[in-house]
Amino acid sequence: MSAQGQDRVNIRQLPTGVPGLDEILGGGLPEYSFNIIAGAPGCGKTTLAHQIIFANASPDCPVLYFTVLGEPAIKMLRYQQQYRFFDQSKLDGTIRFANLSQLVLDKDLGAVLDAIIKEVEASNAKIVVVDSFRTVVRKTLSTATESELQGFIQRLALHLTSWQATTFLIGEYVEGEQRDNPVFTVADGLLWLYQSVERNSIVRKLQVVKLRGQESVPGLHTFRITEDGLQTFPRTFGLAGQSGQVKGRRRLSTGISGLDALLGGGVPEGDSLLVAGPSGSGKSILATQFIAEGLRHGEPGIVAVFEEIPAEYAQRAAMFGLDFDTPQKDDTLKIIYLRPLDLSVDETVHEIVNSVKKLGCKRLVIDSLVGFEMALAPGFRTDFRESLYRMIGALTRLGVTIVSTVEIEENFTSMDLSNFTVSFLADDIVRLRYVSIDGQLRRMLLVVKMRRSAHSIDMVEYQVTSKGVVIGERLRGYRALTSGIPSPWSFESDNIPQRRAEAEGDTPHG
Amino acid sequence: MDTPSPSIRDLAQRLLTAEAARQSVAEPRAHAAVRVCEKLRVSLTRFAGVDGFAALLRRALALAREEVPALHGITEKTDGSLEGLEKLVADAGNSGVAGSDAAVAITVHLLWLLVTFIGEPLTVRLAREAWPDASLDK
Repeated sequence: MSAQGQDRVNIRQLPTGVPGLDEILGGGLPEYSFNIIAGAPGCGKTTLAHQIIFANASPDCPVLYFTVLGEPAIKMLRYQQQYRFFDQSKLDGTIRFANLSQLVLDKDLGAVLDAIIKEVEASNAKIVVVDSFRTVVRKTLSTATESELQGFIQRLALHLTSWQATTFLIGEYVEGEQRDNPVFTVADGLLWLYQSVERNSIVRKLQVVKLRGQESVPGLHTFRITEDGLQTFPRTFGLAGQSGQVKGRRRLSTGISGLDALLGGGVPEGDSLLVAGPSGSGKSILATQFIAEGLRHGEPGIVAVFEEIPAEYAQRAAMFGLDFDTPQKDDTLKIIYLRPLDLSVDETVHEIVNSVKKLGCKRLVIDSLVGFEMALAPGFRTDFRESLYRMIGALTRLGVTIVSTVEIEENFTSMDLSNFTVSFLADDIVRLRYVSIDGQLRRMLLVVKMRRSAHSIDMVEYQVTSKGVVIGERLRGYRALTSGIPSPWSFESDNIPQRRAEAEGDTPHG
Repeated sequence: MDTPSPSIRDLAQRLLTAEAARQSVAEPRAHAAVRVCEKLRVSLTRFAGVDGFAALLRRALALAREEVPALHGITEKTDGSLEGLEKLVADAGNSGVAGSDAAVAITVHLLWLLVTFIGEPLTVRLAREAWPDASLDK
């Protein structure tokens, strides 16, 4: 059988104990691999290493943790035991600490290597951590040549791998140090942790720069450090490996019969519909009606709100005769309020995706994209559109139908679809706008786009009533409706007889 | 830690048989086992380098000692050869059972480590390179 076949060697994977990280790594850490955890001071390297060892340590999997001139073991244990993953019972021989500081200060690389090998063999360690390896390198480079260092790393990797140990070298490195560095050349895996402070928020990201033998998820993944340790938010949102659904032909009613007619029967299942319009135009109530209609048909829904708390949102729905309290109790509706200040897009999206999976959600409302972006830490705003694109793609492939609202800063010379250039995220776009007619500021709705399906091209008046959005008649007899300041057609002066016929009752549909 | 599979133990026996077939009738079977170790060393050093082979052998020896306590007297040299194995075999006398067991245990664990790291098909291929004329099929 070929190497592609089932005879190839099976590389077992160790769990990291870090939520989301196994998915990023492509399943876990390859057993017997030689890895580096790199990053600037304070970005969580030691915590990550501890999380990994506590997740794996057992009598069958002893762990040896070497400390070298970095954080002393006593201080490390003092701080690390504050994390929930820290299990004191495992320090009873399963996890052992050994200090190499004096050896590194007094002896050469050969002696350091011999000491590590001796300790590993004596303890039969299956996981070995050297923290910080950078201090070993820094110290030895003052006396040893680069080739001696390369030989040391090569022999260290050979011995530890052959001894069937999975190894982690921890080092304070900065970007740019990867090039021509023998440590990185020898390593099977290189995890790089980044941290930046922007205004009042900390942005933490992790990248699998290198991982031999398995397919990791490329790119930067957000992570957070809490009392549970690290938690990562993979760019794949926990949906890696899930096959998409072929979009069906079923149409979902919006709960607004007139709008369903304009949409050619409703929103195609699995589509992403963008409702764009100015403040007060009824975007949120339209989205609320969409969720309520799904609940009436037994379709669980989720509303992600950023500008009001769930109780307020339910209260507002009640004003339109929509009961959102009972379905919340029944777990068929979840209103997610995502707290502002320092959210990352991926973290937010993970919360939404987890709820979608938990509820078996069929309909999702994001109200609004502007609020969503404003809730993010400044450092994450550059990722906003890209992350949103990935989330919407992932969820619609699972068959979830999404309605997002976006506020437009209205002007009366043109008709934008979105100030945020997010319309590319949508399969379908409904535009709401104010128009000035006969001394009144009236509301107009039109379906701008529906991917793969016909829709009405009518521009219709609508009203927001105590029952919600109600679609009215087509606005006939006006020119330049999309500008918001239309004027009546003057058929004689414009000499356009067909427009007269159109205004008198012919209704073309696209 | 997994224990060596029956197919790897079988492969080690086949290597031993192949090597025994080349020796004189008067020579104890244990001597063939020593030659298997040495032949594997030469072949695998070409493939993995002296350090690479020495590291594997060191681990294999540690694992084999758990099966054959007599191996505690054996050490590996920097070139990856074994110090004391031939003496162990000689001391075991003409029957050579203990010596044979010791050498076979090292071979089994060395092959099993290779299987762990590179898989069985490639391990068998490396063995074939060292014993091109031997029948290693099951």
